[in-house]
Amino acid sequence: MKYFAKKLAGFIATLLAVSFLVFLAFAVIPGDPATAMLGTQATPERVEALREEMGLSDPLAVRYVRWAADFVRGDFGTSYSYHIPVTQMIGDKLPVTLTLTVLSFLLIVCISLPLGITCARRCGGMLDHVIVVANQIVMAVPGFFSGILLTLVFGLILHWFTPGGYVSYRTDWWRFLGYLFFPSLAIALPKIAMTTKLLRTSVLAETKLDYVRTAYSRGNGTKAVLYRHVLKNALIPVMTFLGMALTDMVAGSIIVEQVFNIPGLGRILLTSISNRDYPVVQAIIVCIAFLVISINFLVDLLYKLVDPRITIE
Amino acid sequence: MKAKAAKRVLLALVCTALTIALGACAGDKASENTSRITIGIPQDIEDSLDPHKAVAAGTKEILFNLFEGLVKPDSDGNLVDALAQSHTMSEDGKVYTFSLRSGVKFHDGSLVTAEDVKYSLDRCADTSSGASLVPAFSAVESVDILDESTVQVTLKEPDKDFLAYMDAAIIPAANKTPETNPIGTGPYRFVSRSPQENFILEKFDDYWGTPAHIDRVELKIIANADSIVTSLNGGSIDMFARVSQAMTEQLSDDFEVLEGTMNLVQAMYLNNQVEPFDDVRVRQALCYAVDPKEIMDIISDGKGTQLGSSMFPAFGKYYLEELNDLYPTDYDKAKELLTQAGYPDGFSFTLTVPSNYQQHIDTAQVIAEQLKRIGVDAKIQLVEWESWVSDVYAGRNFEATVVGLDASSLTAPALLDRFHSAAGKNFINFSSEAYDEAYANAQAAADDAEKTEYYKECERILAQEAANVYIQDLPCFVALNKKYAGYEFYPLYVQDLAKLYLVEE
Repeated sequence: MKYFAKKLAGFIATLLAVSFLVFLAFAVIPGDPATAMLGTQATPERVEALREEMGLSDPLAVRYVRWAADFVRGDFGTSYSYHIPVTQMIGDKLPVTLTLTVLSFLLIVCISLPLGITCARRCGGMLDHVIVVANQIVMAVPGFFSGILLTLVFGLILHWFTPGGYVSYRTDWWRFLGYLFFPSLAIALPKIAMTTKLLRTSVLAETKLDYVRTAYSRGNGTKAVLYRHVLKNALIPVMTFLGMALTDMVAGSIIVEQVFNIPGLGRILLTSISNRDYPVVQAIIVCIAFLVISINFLVDLLYKLVDPRITIE
Repeated sequence: MKAKAAKRVLLALVCTALTIALGACAGDKASENTSRITIGIPQDIEDSLDPHKAVAAGTKEILFNLFEGLVKPDSDGNLVDALAQSHTMSEDGKVYTFSLRSGVKFHDGSLVTAEDVKYSLDRCADTSSGASLVPAFSAVESVDILDESTVQVTLKEPDKDFLAYMDAAIIPAANKTPETNPIGTGPYRFVSRSPQENFILEKFDDYWGTPAHIDRVELKIIANADSIVTSLNGGSIDMFARVSQAMTEQLSDDFEVLEGTMNLVQAMYLNNQVEPFDDVRVRQALCYAVDPKEIMDIISDGKGTQLGSSMFPAFGKYYLEELNDLYPTDYDKAKELLTQAGYPDGFSFTLTVPSNYQQHIDTAQVIAEQLKRIGVDAKIQLVEWESWVSDVYAGRNFEATVVGLDASSLTAPALLDRFHSAAGKNFINFSSEAYDEAYANAQAAADDAEKTEYYKECERILAQEAANVYIQDLPCFVALNKKYAGYEFYPLYVQDLAKLYLVEE
């Protein structure tokens, strides 16, 4: 119980720190939402009136406290440019980014675990060599570039999907998933390579330990030793990496969303920054921070599930 | 067994996420036999949907389909009655009387009343936000309801061109949330918008005029310019307005490329008050040396419309084509004029160009090459758009610049007003008594033919005085899938979706 209380306190402190930093960042960078909204029609009187209306003329600390108080009560404010509640905007886009992340994560797990184990089992074999080389190449290519390559090959040459043909999850769930497959693959590829490499090394390191020899000497076959004893131990570093990869993907989907023209949280975040749409930026960043912290927490819990010797007190 | 448990937890997590996402699904499917079109737009309509408050050109060109004023522009540049059945202007141009069309409905089904009209026009003139919501309406003295179907607008000062501003949207007084729920009288009504994703319109069945042809229009945001061509060729969008010359060459056979004009006056604008451009002979020499045809050949394969003054052909009756021939390319003549002006060996100057407009940069580069032939050295300086606005346009601190100036309304003053010597927008410091007189006469003239003649006189003076080195009205390309037709170009920045229709197969 004490553990949870401590975690929760850390949780809230992190969110507060993150949101305050965003507030500060906007105070420092040039540009102002009122002039951004009025554009060429900005006259000093109109800008002043609008700033007053939006409550921008108050000092930073006052604005921050007001925002935080509203936020705690569940009121995320209203977008300056769209005039709709921020909750509605995020609620609309969160499923897109989450699906993209979950899909990429599934791809990573489903592809890299079997691949890593196979490599370790056939260490030094032909297949192992091929995969190791392929890994190096894939790892070196960043997600946005593999995104462009995938669009070229599967979209324009093979016609497996329509580039830019994003379908909203509200319209057709399956076509939505279909469209997200290649973007997810683009995000997943470098991480698949890393996970495979990590798992291979980790399994190989474990097999040299004493308990493996003991397990063999008790008459176990290779399969039994590998899956029942080695894998569980080898998975701990891989899980740490996967947790980090997952948080990285939540925050990092912005670029791939841009390449594949997917209207997710990342796109909204980018345009809101250039429009100086503070309430939206603020809420999205807190939302991402929340996801990242939650994922880290879940990974902590999973450690215990895999290896009961680990305590999380 | 623990590994399996971990997998199960993971699976459960994934399932939950998917269920949440699925649960958010709502029915948004229209039936199969509705006609539809998907149009790509380069930026989101991330603006107020309130027609009186929207600022961005990209928002206004779409809102044109949702809202109408008492009058509205047609594709030839004329103002035609819309919500007004007829209108009259008092002799002096001070009082405008509109007789309202009866039975016109708003998108919510309610009838348009004289009260709604007064409410809308009063709202445009409202100064509670610091200045009139619609700047031109600061000239309005009062809006009065004469009877149920007649509304009178009285101006503070006579202005015979004020009708062009009466295209301000009429909105229902009862709508309390015009910023997110746009209700107008146009041929299309608003259905939904999803930020950074799309903006959906549906045909308004009770439209008073010629109804739209296509039932459902989806405007899809393509923020990444590199994916415009792939989206068109891949079939996810059917139309994109304003594609570049390079993009048109990559389009598949499914597309027709319609060519129009951008409706702006691209010129090398000269600061008429700084040396050496304060001498008319120097300005004329530049006009003789710069060859607009060669510029068009080099930067857009010969497409575009040559201009000789501050007026483009879309304005029909005001445009004077013969001014294009005033300065045929003639290097000897140019050199002779320079010698007379005291610059036999030429001179050098700085040509400031906003860095975000590739077409103006290209033009500036060709001009610089052309001017070398008469010994004039133009140094191109690229500046950010914001600093162009503050230094060149507002500060008038420049020698020469290449930009395109457009018209904000369908009136000749929209293009010519800036050149009378006292105009606040006269960033080139042009000063000519003859021009001021002709412009004042045009403003005062009651008869349209007489007025037009005076405006033409203004254009001639600009050309003869070589106020600027006029180049062209830039070409504009619209990519439209051959399944559709009916696209019309307007002399203003609008997209008229109601004219589009499906071609029968």
